[in-house]
Amino acid sequence: MEHPILFISIILEKLGLPIPHGPIGNTFLEKLCEPYMTYTWFVMIFLVVVGKLTLSNIEMIPGKGQNFWELLIGGMYDFFNDNMGSELTEKLFPMISTFALYIAVGNLIGLIPGFMSPTSSINTTLALTLIVWVTHHLIGLRAHGVGYIKHFLGPIPVLIPLMLPIELISNVARLLSLSIRLFGNIMAKETLLGILFMLAGAYFAPLPIMLLGVLVSLVQAMVFVLLTVVYFGQSNEHAH
Amino acid sequence: MAKKLSTEMVDLLGNYGHIGFTFVAAIFIGLGGGIYLDEHFFDGNTSPWFTFIGLAFGIGAGFKSLFDILRTPAARTKDKDSEG
Repeated sequence: MEHPILFISIILEKLGLPIPHGPIGNTFLEKLCEPYMTYTWFVMIFLVVVGKLTLSNIEMIPGKGQNFWELLIGGMYDFFNDNMGSELTEKLFPMISTFALYIAVGNLIGLIPGFMSPTSSINTTLALTLIVWVTHHLIGLRAHGVGYIKHFLGPIPVLIPLMLPIELISNVARLLSLSIRLFGNIMAKETLLGILFMLAGAYFAPLPIMLLGVLVSLVQAMVFVLLTVVYFGQSNEHAH
Repeated sequence: MAKKLSTEMVDLLGNYGHIGFTFVAAIFIGLGGGIYLDEHFFDGNTSPWFTFIGLAFGIGAGFKSLFDILRTPAARTKDKDSEG
């Protein structure tokens, strides 16, 4: 199915840059101009600019913008603190909160006509998931050293040959489930919206799906962050 | 009240919202690993065996992740009860 109009792609095409016509470009420049790449940069620029505009002069009595960010960041900080302890939160708060903001804005931006969710490409979600997955192993190795392997051996020494493959498989399954859940939900939303726009856009057919899309976007961002926090907390704990 | 309700909702979603995907992903990774061992590592000499062993381990891993999900929130509420 041909994707609906994406305005960044049109601007880039007018500027003479090669836009890939399939999902994957051939040359390096085409790969850089794929829609999910350009919209990822768009979301990054959006977050930086909005942050700069609202937080350029921080005051004791917060205005509208600062109030919003204080509520959001404060809420996330408390939530991380509850779920993975203050030590890890101090270290990893910037990373996880950036993920949360990026995924939430990236999901929601696809609801506006002319935009596309960068998270509706498996490349984006797999990249995010790989970072989380590698980080949670690094946290475990750092906290327990070689003893981190006890997390994968199960409770009883006799059952090690049985438990080791099972634990390894279920650990790798985290990689797959975390990335495919986000990708699948957001791609389904995007595709459904695109089809409804094409079939009956004049009769406001996509409106109910847009309402559901807002819900799905926020819930998926929340679930991704929550699972990230839970994994980090688990690998930091002692093996049971 | 509303805040308490929403945090509870987030907890439930995070704990139980990923059961289906994790279960399926575990089975597929087990099966895929078994097929890879059969076809590429042993060149098809052991053909059905590692596929089935991998499938069994995958299903085991799926159920293990289910039990993990069941155990985690229960343990957490117990901690909270003993604190308060």
